[in-house]
Amino acid sequence: MFENLAPKKIDLKEWSRQFRSLDTDFINKFFYYKNNDWGRYLFPPAIFMVYGARQLKHLKLDNSLASLRVWGFSFNESERLFRAKQSGKKVIATMGDLGTVPIIVMAFPDCIPFYPDCTWWTPFFNESNVLLDRASEMGVPEASCFVRSALAAFDKKAYFPKPDLLFASTGASCDDYSCIMQMVGNLGYDIIWLEMPFRRHTAKYFVGDKYKTTNQGLEYPERFEDYLVTEYKKVWAKMVELTGINDLELLRENIKKTNRLRRLVENIKNLTYEVEIVPFPALEMMVIEFGNLYGYADFDEWLDICEMVYETIKERTRKGIGVLKPDAIPIAWVMPTADPILLNLVEDLGGRVVATEYVINQALAQIEEQGDPFNALARSFLNASLIGSTEERVRRITEKVEQGRVRGVIITNMLGASHCSMETRLIEKMLSKVPVLSLDVPSPLGITEQLKTRIAAFMETLR
Amino acid sequence: MPISFASALISAFYFREMKDILTPRERFGLLVIDEKPDRCNIIPLITSHSAKVKGVKLKDYYTNGEIMARAQIAAIEEYGHDAISIFSEVGIIAEAMGSEFFYPEDDLPVLKSPILAQTNIDNINIPNPEKDKRLPVYLEAVEYAYQALGDKVPILAYVPAPFTTGMMLSDPNKFLIQTIKEPEYIKKVLEKSSQAAIEFCYHIIDAGGLPILVDPLASSSVISPKTYKEFALPYESAVIDFLHRYDLDVILHICGNTTPILDLLPETDADLISIDQVDLKTVLEKLSKRIRIIGNFDTSKLLFFSKENIANEVKNMVKLGMSAPKGYIASTGCEVPTHAPKENVKAFIKAAKEVGWYWD
Repeated sequence: MFENLAPKKIDLKEWSRQFRSLDTDFINKFFYYKNNDWGRYLFPPAIFMVYGARQLKHLKLDNSLASLRVWGFSFNESERLFRAKQSGKKVIATMGDLGTVPIIVMAFPDCIPFYPDCTWWTPFFNESNVLLDRASEMGVPEASCFVRSALAAFDKKAYFPKPDLLFASTGASCDDYSCIMQMVGNLGYDIIWLEMPFRRHTAKYFVGDKYKTTNQGLEYPERFEDYLVTEYKKVWAKMVELTGINDLELLRENIKKTNRLRRLVENIKNLTYEVEIVPFPALEMMVIEFGNLYGYADFDEWLDICEMVYETIKERTRKGIGVLKPDAIPIAWVMPTADPILLNLVEDLGGRVVATEYVINQALAQIEEQGDPFNALARSFLNASLIGSTEERVRRITEKVEQGRVRGVIITNMLGASHCSMETRLIEKMLSKVPVLSLDVPSPLGITEQLKTRIAAFMETLR
Repeated sequence: MPISFASALISAFYFREMKDILTPRERFGLLVIDEKPDRCNIIPLITSHSAKVKGVKLKDYYTNGEIMARAQIAAIEEYGHDAISIFSEVGIIAEAMGSEFFYPEDDLPVLKSPILAQTNIDNINIPNPEKDKRLPVYLEAVEYAYQALGDKVPILAYVPAPFTTGMMLSDPNKFLIQTIKEPEYIKKVLEKSSQAAIEFCYHIIDAGGLPILVDPLASSSVISPKTYKEFALPYESAVIDFLHRYDLDVILHICGNTTPILDLLPETDADLISIDQVDLKTVLEKLSKRIRIIGNFDTSKLLFFSKENIANEVKNMVKLGMSAPKGYIASTGCEVPTHAPKENVKAFIKAAKEVGWYWD
């Protein structure tokens, strides 16, 4: 469907026109939780706008069926979580670790992990301060990270159902998020805390430490792996207690499935970022990359969607067609954008994203399929961006810069996010071989003409 | 007033409500996924009455989209109910198809010259909602209201159902006689009216509005259940089918007495049924396990009853309505009268808020 259309980014009205040409039988083929009574999700962006996602009126989205599935599915997540609970599934909040605890949760039949922290996107997609204002009322001031939306979402109980269990990571995690989750605990939610170790070099202080290396080449003290295993076993035990199921074979199977998605997304990224004509827009690519964390609460369907995305990209590449001009300027993006419209904007101004560091590197790493699954999960997680040094975080970007494949770097700095204020300057310094633009992402609807002019001037400089 | 200022005012209003935890948008969102919100949605059919709240002439209200939207926003600020209702009267699609309406200075449009008195249905085109007559006024109103407060309040846009539009295309009496004498011709009229309604819905969605279907002339106060089943229901269903392609939850409102057709209403496949002069208890017994119920305070009481009596009756209605397992919206049975005293409308909403709580 839509294969004969030239790839391009289209606005909401054009998407509505395209959608009208679809047969109802075709629309009904796509549903989540394998439930075709209430699980349909293939709808045009206008529908999600009607229900409050106001930014869709201003975004331009890819015109493929794969893109329609990506958007329909990801925007449907809130309803999906409520439907999960209504249909007897267990809904498990897995917060802060970004990618590993959901693998354990999904090993239990009918258990659905999700990230309440991801409601930090909601104010931007809704162009709304409802959640941010509520968080302010609850005592988290405007000068805090946008993740404060999660606190308001827990309070309002309208964005996701009450979780059956809540796992929250702390330690080498985002400080602001950890603070928010403590406040969630104060609302009466029982939180099971997990501690993430910082991947530091301890040889100077702990002479006996032995070091190992992750599959992405990062060194860590061996005892950190052991420590993480105890934390993951804690998750496992809680899940066993909740479900009465205790079958490690299910975990091994789920690791294989997770690897399949991770390989697929790695392939999608490599192809999209390396071919001459960009086959898929940066905004959709970001949604795909974040999908690795938990498959937007229906891993199997998300896997199927990503397979369609890959086929679409391969087909476009084979035909030498895409969504941007061939002379688009290659840039790297560091930190999630917070406001999705920034990715549209940079492409409109002549850029293309060819590398990303969205702080979710661990969700892209392969997990060993042999041996003890908890150790395998721990070793994979120890690739995480957030638990290491800034230098390690930007290493991939630095490599691309040195290969001459990146002409500029954009850092999206979240006002109020404590690590941003410390890291942004360090990253700028480490990437001194290319021009760097660091943007302070304002609150929803805060993108000013001045900010646009800065981006335009930066792109002009690179050109 | 700039949109951002309007939005700020709305924020201030909602957060001033001590007990309200959710915004109307969040509250409505939970209702349509079968979750109980903090309290029941309270959506009296405040349509042209908003012009009086804003202090604008009705003619300005229904001929200028921005004025219509600003009047609706003013009503939300005044009353704190849970949805914007973009609507003036049921002739808008028929007008865009060629019927002529007279616009009184301070009253609602009146059918002056129905198009089917002059020509055959085959010669009538499906209107373009972006261009024809007052359909663009409605779209402008939806867009303005959505931009102003669409993140906090759902924007409902009332769409006349095919049967009602059909009667506005014709002399109403002749139309009813033709349902007996020339049923196939009337079905052609209704088919075209359905296409026009669908086209209008399509544009409303793109503007950010949730279309709701209104079919006042399909009331059992006007037609028999047999006529309803043959000439109204199938075309209501056609529009609802279209909206279900988009997974939208569809509200169907029929005025007057619909007791004789209660058993037929589920066949429309509407997700929410808005009722008027029907015994609420009977409706709950017959429909509420399958369909969400909206209703149904007698609007004449908003004109003539005291605030105290209104409050008492509303409380009883809401307590009963909230027993609906699929969900309930506290509402009026029909449009709030244009000249209803504001104090009475406030009494309705205050009473509903007092007793309408699902959460502890």
